[in-house]
Amino acid sequence: MIGIEHYLVVSSILFVMGVLGIFLNRKNVIIILMAIELILLAVNINLVAFSSALQDLTGQIFAMFVLTVAAGEAAIGLAILVIYFRGRGTIAVDDVNRMKG
Amino acid sequence: MDYGQSLLITLPEIILSIGGLVLLLVAAWSGAKATRAVSISAVALLVAAGVATLCYTGDAFGALYSGDQFSDFGHVLIYIAAAISLMIAPRFFQRAGLARAEYPILILYACVGMGMMVSATDFLTLYIGLELNSLAAYVLASFLRTDERSAEAGLKYFVLGALASGILLFGMSLVYGFTGSTSFVAVLGSLGGGMETGALFGIVFVLAGLAFKISAVPFHMWTPDVYEGAPTPVTAFFASAPKVAATALTVRVAVDAFGTQTLAWQQIIIFIALASIILGGVAAIGQTNLKRLLAYSSINNIGFLLIGLAAGTQEGISAVLVYLSIYVAMTLGSFACIMQLRGPDGEPREELSDIAGLSQTNKGLALAMAIFMFSLAGIPPLFGFWGKVVVFDAAIGAGLLPLAVIGIAASVIGAFYYIKIVKLMYFDESRTVLQTGDGKALAWIGAIMALLVSPLGYFSIPLLGGFANNAASALF
Amino acid sequence: MVDLSQYLPILLFLGVAIAISSIFVFLPMGVARLTGAHKPTAAKLAEYECGFPAFEDSRSQFDVRFYLVAILFIIFDLEAAFLFPWAVSLEEIGIAGWATMMVFLFELIIGFIYAWKVGALEWE
Repeated sequence: MIGIEHYLVVSSILFVMGVLGIFLNRKNVIIILMAIELILLAVNINLVAFSSALQDLTGQIFAMFVLTVAAGEAAIGLAILVIYFRGRGTIAVDDVNRMKG
Repeated sequence: MDYGQSLLITLPEIILSIGGLVLLLVAAWSGAKATRAVSISAVALLVAAGVATLCYTGDAFGALYSGDQFSDFGHVLIYIAAAISLMIAPRFFQRAGLARAEYPILILYACVGMGMMVSATDFLTLYIGLELNSLAAYVLASFLRTDERSAEAGLKYFVLGALASGILLFGMSLVYGFTGSTSFVAVLGSLGGGMETGALFGIVFVLAGLAFKISAVPFHMWTPDVYEGAPTPVTAFFASAPKVAATALTVRVAVDAFGTQTLAWQQIIIFIALASIILGGVAAIGQTNLKRLLAYSSINNIGFLLIGLAAGTQEGISAVLVYLSIYVAMTLGSFACIMQLRGPDGEPREELSDIAGLSQTNKGLALAMAIFMFSLAGIPPLFGFWGKVVVFDAAIGAGLLPLAVIGIAASVIGAFYYIKIVKLMYFDESRTVLQTGDGKALAWIGAIMALLVSPLGYFSIPLLGGFANNAASALF
Repeated sequence: MVDLSQYLPILLFLGVAIAISSIFVFLPMGVARLTGAHKPTAAKLAEYECGFPAFEDSRSQFDVRFYLVAILFIIFDLEAAFLFPWAVSLEEIGIAGWATMMVFLFELIIGFIYAWKVGALEWE
């Protein structure tokens, strides 16, 4: 029987993978965008699992909102990436260093 | 549920949304020509929304949204800060050759989000408000498309902001799962009957995400880069309105949703507060860029604000609101001063060395700057001192004497670099040719803000304190 | 006796804070050290293509215009996700639900008009 804790474990693993993906990756900013999506989808697994366990619809509605906000976020991320690329000619993470801090 | 009443209570957000959509179409058809008209209409919309906020109070949409006095206070402060960021912007963007009508529109959308943040009484509303504000803010940070630093600031802000949202959201999902609801009232009730470890993890994640948004240590690393890279009017906006919204949001979540588990978050807030005060003070010392310096100054000030929240009492929250109002005036004024620094060819100057000997070339500007710096440092005759007094008073009143003592000691570290700036302006020789003054709007805003934080500001204490007390009482 | 369990939140918070911020600081250093050993030469980097010298660069770059289309696609595609639960539950949510969705669609249309008008939909 798959219980709520199994879902929690999966979503936690995905969440940690997403966070690590943001910090570990040295090559490409696009991968950071994917990692962010991974984090949000981990949250969605949580929300839907809880929603089903609690017999409460709020979690699923929340998940819908998260999905659409994630879409907006990805679009804006891509847009910023495009203007960044136009200015610098590269999207390697190591090159994002015009300001030091 | 009475939809008419709900719509009236959310009227400020509705005014700004519809106004923003109309202005967007205007911008699409007339392009950059309409920038001036769009800016003026945006300010008018903000005024209208501010009036609408004050007209209706109550809960809307089945307690998803609350139009209480606390949210009124937040709304008005945010709208004032946003309107000022609109007024200081036009000349800056004209000089950069990118005067676009989208800037005021993005500010309006950010304001819709911020209004929802301060009024949210449900995690769902909170999240939507936060994202509305953040998405507009990412675009604003990279608004100077041709400037590499601006694009980089936008990118960094986006990545770390999205990470913060993710962390916050993960926390919210845990809180939802272990308390069974996303509504603050229900969460409060559920946590009142004891707390599971999962819910505790949720609270920790939510606070970590919110700490990111208010740029408190240890989640402050994005702030200096974003402040330096973003166009200066946008930086002024970031340092004022979203700070108000995020702080008010943190206060409401801590008191309204987690209020029955005060012990759980109080230690965290105390830790964040002290760490922010100390790091904000120490790290600022080595900075050479004025905008970076103000970024650390904002981290430092967030620490003081959080001391009021750590108290957890009505006096504490009222102190937070008073401090916020003074902070907004100080920070907007400082940015208005920095924006007046121009090189011989009209290019913006923002290095620390550029203001050396400013008192010889422009006495008024140097005086205003000195007032803001002394006020930020909290040196007695100025109004910034009062903010620190109320915050520490609330902390002592709540029995947090050690926190107040450490906070006061740490504020001395912070005073060091503020005084360094004043010393540079008054006692050093000028090394660069500086063209100061950049239009009447900047000079006026700088002067008005300087008057507000000058000792004259003490006359506003009964009024400001009264509003803040009213607002804080709405939460308890 | 001090009840140590009441300090659990701050411990958790510190754990989370230290973990996230140390990842941010040390991980790039560690990775740079681990991967720093590789000293590529032209021969090592050349693609192996059946013994011939490579005909063309194997990693062709996408045209940036694809991204612009992708951006618009993501938004208008996923916002449509709201339509499905709305359509299924239309009988229960009544006129208020219907009106809300119409407002939402109207806003999307304004966004679409804006994108069209500023030329985001043009390929050239």
